[in-house]
Amino acid sequence: MIRLGLRLTLGSGREAALRVLVTAAAVALGVGLLLASLAGVNGLHAQTDRGAWLDTSAQSSRPASTSGQLWWLSGTDQFGNQEIDRVDIAAAGPGAPVPPGIAHLPGPGEYDVSPALMALFKSESANELRERYPGHQIGTIGAAALPSPNSLIIVIGHTARQLSQAPGAVEVGAIQRTPSSCYACQNTGGSGAVLQFILVGGAVALLLPVLILIATASRLSAARREERFAAMRLVGATPRQISVVSAVEAVVAAVAGVAVGFALFFAFRPLLYHVPFTGAPLAAGDLSLRWTDIVLAVIGVPVAAVVSARLALRRVRISPLGVQRRASSRLPRIARIIPLLAGIAVLAYFDAAGKPGAVGGQLLELLAGFVLLIVGLVLAGPWFTTAGARLMASRASRPATLIAGRRLLDNPKAAFRFIGGLVIALFVGSAAIGALSSIAAASSSGGGSAGRGTLAEPFCSFSTSNCPASAQVPSVPGQVLAGLRTTPGVRSVTLVHQGPSQAEQMKSFGVVACNQLARTPAIGKCAPGETVASVGYFFSHLLGHNSHASSTIWPSANMSVASAARLPVDAVVVATDGSPGSLERARTTLERDFPFQGAAVAVDAFDPSTARLLTMIQDMTDVVIVASLIIASCSLAVNIAAGLGERKRSFSLLRLTGVPTGLLHRVVALESALPLLLVAAVSIVVGLVSAALYLHSQVGIAFSIPGIPYWATVIGGLAVSLAIIASTFPLLTRMTGPEVARNE
Amino acid sequence: MNGANSSSVVGGGGVIVEARDLVISFGETPALRGASVSVKRGEVLAVMGPSGSGKSTLLYCLAGILVPDSGGVSFDGQRLDTMREEQRSRLRRDRFGFVFQSGQLVPELTAEENVALPLLLGGTHRKEALRGARAWFERLELDGLERHRAGEMSGGQAQRVALARGLVAHPDVLFADEPTGSLDSLTGELVMSLMTGAAREEGTTVVLVTHEPRVAAYADREVIVRDGRVTTIATVAG
Amino acid sequence: MALLGLLDREPSHGYDLKRDYDTYFARGRPLPFGQVYATLARLARDGKAVAGDAEPGGGPDRKRYAITPTGKYEVEAWLGEPIPAEPYLQTDLFVKVLLSLMLGRPAEEYLDAQRATHLRRMRELTDLKQQGNLVDALLADHGLFHLDADLRWIDLTAARLAALAEEVAS
Repeated sequence: MIRLGLRLTLGSGREAALRVLVTAAAVALGVGLLLASLAGVNGLHAQTDRGAWLDTSAQSSRPASTSGQLWWLSGTDQFGNQEIDRVDIAAAGPGAPVPPGIAHLPGPGEYDVSPALMALFKSESANELRERYPGHQIGTIGAAALPSPNSLIIVIGHTARQLSQAPGAVEVGAIQRTPSSCYACQNTGGSGAVLQFILVGGAVALLLPVLILIATASRLSAARREERFAAMRLVGATPRQISVVSAVEAVVAAVAGVAVGFALFFAFRPLLYHVPFTGAPLAAGDLSLRWTDIVLAVIGVPVAAVVSARLALRRVRISPLGVQRRASSRLPRIARIIPLLAGIAVLAYFDAAGKPGAVGGQLLELLAGFVLLIVGLVLAGPWFTTAGARLMASRASRPATLIAGRRLLDNPKAAFRFIGGLVIALFVGSAAIGALSSIAAASSSGGGSAGRGTLAEPFCSFSTSNCPASAQVPSVPGQVLAGLRTTPGVRSVTLVHQGPSQAEQMKSFGVVACNQLARTPAIGKCAPGETVASVGYFFSHLLGHNSHASSTIWPSANMSVASAARLPVDAVVVATDGSPGSLERARTTLERDFPFQGAAVAVDAFDPSTARLLTMIQDMTDVVIVASLIIASCSLAVNIAAGLGERKRSFSLLRLTGVPTGLLHRVVALESALPLLLVAAVSIVVGLVSAALYLHSQVGIAFSIPGIPYWATVIGGLAVSLAIIASTFPLLTRMTGPEVARNE
Repeated sequence: MNGANSSSVVGGGGVIVEARDLVISFGETPALRGASVSVKRGEVLAVMGPSGSGKSTLLYCLAGILVPDSGGVSFDGQRLDTMREEQRSRLRRDRFGFVFQSGQLVPELTAEENVALPLLLGGTHRKEALRGARAWFERLELDGLERHRAGEMSGGQAQRVALARGLVAHPDVLFADEPTGSLDSLTGELVMSLMTGAAREEGTTVVLVTHEPRVAAYADREVIVRDGRVTTIATVAG
Repeated sequence: MALLGLLDREPSHGYDLKRDYDTYFARGRPLPFGQVYATLARLARDGKAVAGDAEPGGGPDRKRYAITPTGKYEVEAWLGEPIPAEPYLQTDLFVKVLLSLMLGRPAEEYLDAQRATHLRRMRELTDLKQQGNLVDALLADHGLFHLDADLRWIDLTAARLAALAEEVAS
């Protein structure tokens, strides 16, 4: 039986060969995608592993003795929108562990830098970057310690006595070797889990349409194959033997597909390195496959292919009397759009009623709303197709529209099947990008450019964690202030003094003299007549809380300017002219003058790792959107080819009567393009609306329409889809030529 | 009786479609080897012959569907074989009607929409086209079937719908290729009777390919195609 | 038998019988009076019909004939019994073809001419069908089917001429 199956698969003519070919191609695509995603996840892990040592201070264990110990203080700095990992170390005794990538610990006045940072040192002015760091370079950090070839890392040496007094410095006995999962971890900005989730989610979003494509491919010339099976049954083959034969075909296609998929992956792997899987470039060799990955791809995808091919034929029973057509289904009813409306209603309700206070309530709203929307879109898709088709057919004045509309009305569920996977990708993608662009727009408008150009150096008591008294800054020396004020580009300097009651967190962080506050408007204003104001938290959060600090009028603190000036200093706020050079010069001066106090951050901008994460999400979403559109239109094209067999005769006879081929092309294009465009439009609109509702209710940001790149991606993707559909036209023309109509 | 009928209908005389020395081959096999035939305006002509004789090929050449390798086809004075495909296609759409053996209706459309199709293609507005289509239903004994789909009809009904579609745009010539081939005798007789009746009322010329003498008997005269050539024994009967 | 059957319907005069026969059965070949009366006389002699009283005015055409039970029985039997399915040999045409083959004449042309004649006749019959009533149509169809069968034979023979010629020559 297997031999018969092989002969039938490989030797029964062009149509069968085409089907096997297309199925194999679809399987290859699926395998390639799966391998790429797995390699991406592996690359992410490789990066994370290499950067594990950066989180050494997160260890909870403390060494017993002083020998073999290291003082360790790590933090992040930034230059422009690039992140710099800074590690200050000092040996506590002989035999202190050495971080990877360097030969020995740098001593006081020495430092090691990563190659990328070294290049920056050379290319940028010293007063913008290099002067932040005390000492001179003694070596470079090796590749084994760099998460990414572009990583900017500096390891600075100190004496134990210096470093032990720095706020936040800890003693450690060993370098962290395995990645620790902590939110505040430096390694990849603590977003490892999020990145993994995004990668896996993107892969799933793409695999679904591929599975549909595989199922569609099995429909090609299915009628001919089903007739052959019926003939076999007539001659006495059992149903079991029939399934063996069809399984053989599926296995042949799967094997070929897996082989080609692997070949594709290895061939395109160099290009994959350009894909921003993690936002930071991967080092050579990071996109590797573990043997479990290979087994998964070799076994998983073909199994899925065989299953989906079986499902595609599920509705057709093969009996000796020939193929029995499945009963035509009822038209989708309007009740199908209820979940979709419910999802929007949930989000709208929360928008109107105000957000639930508890975090759990927020999560519930998010989950309920979005799950309802996704399910709703998939359920409502056929109804939208039906409604559009009805409109087309009833209002059609041109024959092409009439025919296409009627055919869609015949079986709207089937028409929607190929775009189902697309719906999810477009909805989630649009919602994500809608949210991201609104956040970006809000952060760039809130506070205005003044916010971006204003740096604040918060001292350790500014944060909510414990800060030893020894780390407090009683006052800022006059020459330091003078040095700051004369840094090119700096407009003014404001000191924020420690507020009297620190117990009331988030309410009062410090006190500021009003005449100083007036010069740094980005962090708020005084009420008229005040002399000293008590300010709250004026940094912007990720999602826009307090991003309008500049418009806040702080209440009066009841003290005199002189008594305020005697309080210890909590933060130094520097307003610059906003140019990148000035920002970096101000940053350099601040960090040089206040070492061990952490980096200066702009009052109203994203920190680099968050910005990187957001960019990465945006890029991946674009890729998923375009890829989904392309895969869905491949399914549509295959479906057109499959449906051609049924309509060959009536189409060719129509052509004989003088109907122009253009009309047939239009019919086929309309049948595919209408559901595609309609459903895409609905998904995008629903995605953007839900993002708007969520942002408005949860985060308080006004929705702003995504910019040109998003629309260019979507429209470009749709254009490619339509082009793929149009590529079936030559096939249509060829298959309906006059030779077909001759009566045999 | 025979002569009186046919000569009164073949009024105006004049040749409307003519083929001269057509030669055409499909690959190695020659289908026509110098076939010639003249069709008079308003007559019903039967093209007969055994299967494989090339009669359908001759019909396709006359209708401008196929271009012969050599020889000429003219319709109403214009040469068909030298026209470009778009022109011939337009001619077929505007001046010719077609009835095939089966499978020519668009299955997704209703019967009246199928009949209205040529009108819609010609740019007629939908309501008007449907009205023109509906007029044919009673005429061809298809009352009540307007909203039925192609798959919901019997073979005879479908062929009558196809006939209506072929005649709805008042073509000059109706080309029929084995129109009763899939039908039983009684249904076939009905279709032929209606076809010739309606064509004669409209003054439409009919060129009909068939291998059945009883079907050819509905025509005014017949030509036999044998081995790619046309033999005419008798023209109009005396 | 047709006259007897007509008598079965109702007793009639000879004149009526002839008229009915001509209308329904004769189509173009009316029955001679003599044949009618001769047939009626024979039927009476065989006991299948009886002649009624002659009406005043004399003459055999004034007699009314009626069917007898014997006659009825015979009509019934005749109706119920199928006609022997003898092949209807076109003797003349058959002879023509064989002869022309033997004599080396173009048998194909004869067959073509015959075909044209048959087709012409079929056209006449078809016109008749379309104009006449259902009874006419029945008759016409009968003729058409037979002519059709003949044409099939003609086509087959035409295809076999070469082989036939060989066999005849040997």
